[in-house]
Amino acid sequence: MTLFLVKRLIMLAATLLVAAVVVFFVLEILPGDPALVMLGVSAQADTLAALRAEMGLDLPAWQRFTNWIGGVVTGELGRSYTYDVPVSELIGERVVVSLPLAVMALTLSTVIAIPLGVIAASRHNRTTDIALTGAAQIGIAISNFWFAILLILLFSVTLRWVPAGGFAGWDAGFWPAIQSLLLPAIALALPQAAILTRVTRSSVLEVLQEDFVRTARAKGLSRRAALWRHAVRNALIPVITILGLQFSFLLAGTIIIENVFYLPGLGRLLFQAIAQRDLIVVKDLVVLLAGTVVVVNFVVDLGYAVLDPRLRSGGGHV
Amino acid sequence: MTLLAIENLCVELDGPDGTLRLLDDVNLFLSKGRCLGLVGESGCGKSMTALAIMGLLPRGMRASGRILLEGEDLLSIGEDRLCGLRGRKMAMVFQEPMTALNPVVPIGRQVAEGLRLHLGLTRHEAELRAGKMLARVGLPVERFPLGLFPHQLSGGQRQRVVIAMALTCGPDLLVADEPTTALDVTVQAQILDLIAELVEEFDMGLVLITHDLGVVAESTDTMSVMYAGKVVEDGPTDEVFQRMAHPYTRGLFAAMPSHSSDLDATRKRLTTIPGRVPDASSRPSGCPFVARCSFATDQCSDAPPPLERLAHRHSASCFNLSRVEGL
Ligand SMILES: Nc1ncnc2c1ncn2[C@@H]1O[C@H](COP(=O)(O)OP(=O)(O)O)[C@@H](O)[C@H]1O
Ligand SMILES: [Mg+2]
Repeated sequence: MTLFLVKRLIMLAATLLVAAVVVFFVLEILPGDPALVMLGVSAQADTLAALRAEMGLDLPAWQRFTNWIGGVVTGELGRSYTYDVPVSELIGERVVVSLPLAVMALTLSTVIAIPLGVIAASRHNRTTDIALTGAAQIGIAISNFWFAILLILLFSVTLRWVPAGGFAGWDAGFWPAIQSLLLPAIALALPQAAILTRVTRSSVLEVLQEDFVRTARAKGLSRRAALWRHAVRNALIPVITILGLQFSFLLAGTIIIENVFYLPGLGRLLFQAIAQRDLIVVKDLVVLLAGTVVVVNFVVDLGYAVLDPRLRSGGGHV
Repeated sequence: MTLLAIENLCVELDGPDGTLRLLDDVNLFLSKGRCLGLVGESGCGKSMTALAIMGLLPRGMRASGRILLEGEDLLSIGEDRLCGLRGRKMAMVFQEPMTALNPVVPIGRQVAEGLRLHLGLTRHEAELRAGKMLARVGLPVERFPLGLFPHQLSGGQRQRVVIAMALTCGPDLLVADEPTTALDVTVQAQILDLIAELVEEFDMGLVLITHDLGVVAESTDTMSVMYAGKVVEDGPTDEVFQRMAHPYTRGLFAAMPSHSSDLDATRKRLTTIPGRVPDASSRPSGCPFVARCSFATDQCSDAPPPLERLAHRHSASCFNLSRVEGL
């Protein structure tokens, strides 16, 4: 187990380093001078040069890279050019929107998809299955951007149940905050749920062919009991993999969804930072998101070990 | 007293090229506390018969005829009633111990599950009894805690768990489908002995499926020889072995390594039966064995031979019984 953890930590560090190098050099190649953006195109050449020196932009690339990485490692994320506050503060403000949003979306999609997938599999090729598979197919085809707009039209504009956008803030109370996250979470969750339903369905169908399901039936378990008590847990092992992958897509999805719903989250921050060439914010955010993905994959691996005793240590023949 | 009577059992499957008949008019009979051996090469329909008895045929297969367990027709009762019988009145041991157990559930829970279901025991009571049953099949709790998972056991040990699982509720009928085929030779005898002991101790009827005639000779009272979905010869085991009326039975016998040494020259020729069991989709209209039979005549290709009674309870289906036995 210790070895497993050490391996994982090295993986984490390596992934982060690669992400850092990639984002740094991509931004290096992209046109756009942050100093110029800050001062405007009419800026004087000497003012510009002074600002560039102050921001460290005149240093060679490798030196800027090591300065930045050194900062990240020591927890000093630098200062946003546009907001003129420490990046860590910016991230802190935004993460309380994005994290609950992602968790809500992931929970929603899991809670919807797994039972539906199991039910579809248990009614293989019958009306329920065909209807669910069809609905999932539509769900996969829909982009969450378009779906989000439909949701706003229906629930905010027509029914006026929830606000069309913006974030009430946690200070406004738990319920108003959750309410303003509800539609975005649904918009993020449903397309994911559609994929997850299909994965669950095919995984359960596969496990239902296994000998141990027949053994369970031979004991006297009904079809349904054998399904839920014996097949589902085995079927969830591949589903967990997809869940982990989906988390990355969810992060990408938040960038779009937060913009559609005017949510002050990390995705919106990233979008704005790119538009305004607030490079330090972009770099820090990308590394943060990459780190999140790696950590989620780690949690997924732990999930395997919980579901599948063969992956736990201490096995072997008696 | 009759425990199990199978009458005119047919199992059919609709395929892309029409209906396949996997089992064709199978009749079997087993008395309480007795052992019936079911033999034949693989693909003959032995497993289908076992699954039909348990009511666990794969989806899409239809069974017709009657399967009477203590007079109750399993093919006409509902699924709920069948669930009540499976595991309590009739139980099954499968061929593949490596895949027959749920890999993510501890063995104690898997054995206890039937007890909780059929006898309504609490979790604690059920696990206590599961532990006793596991000890009875050679897996004492001190060395094999209930919390072990299947992957921590060898094939033979897993088959012991499967046996414990089948027997926890004290069924009257045990169906064992090639219970040792997947195991090491050294373990096979141990498992067969264990099954024989337990059948005696629990006074169960046993349907023992195997392709090993030696096992049949040693541990069964009656036997049925299956070929291509049909029973081609059946009767009391000693009588069948004495007469071997059907050419296929002779072929199987000659193919047995341990017995071929003391056979006369004629039988030695048959040490392996040439050809293979015809698939359900390509069975001839006459006797299914015709293509591989050294006694075959024109008559054999025209129509399937009826099952002919040779003695009180011994019958075989062959047009050339007198020529076969005349050898
Ligand atoms: N799921 C299935 N679908 C179609 N045919 C099958 C299936 N399972 C078995 N069969 C066919 O049924 C016949 C009998 O198979 P089986 O009972 O498993 O034989 P045995 O147990 O004697 O080796 C074989 O011809 C086999 O090809
Ligand atoms: Mg078989």
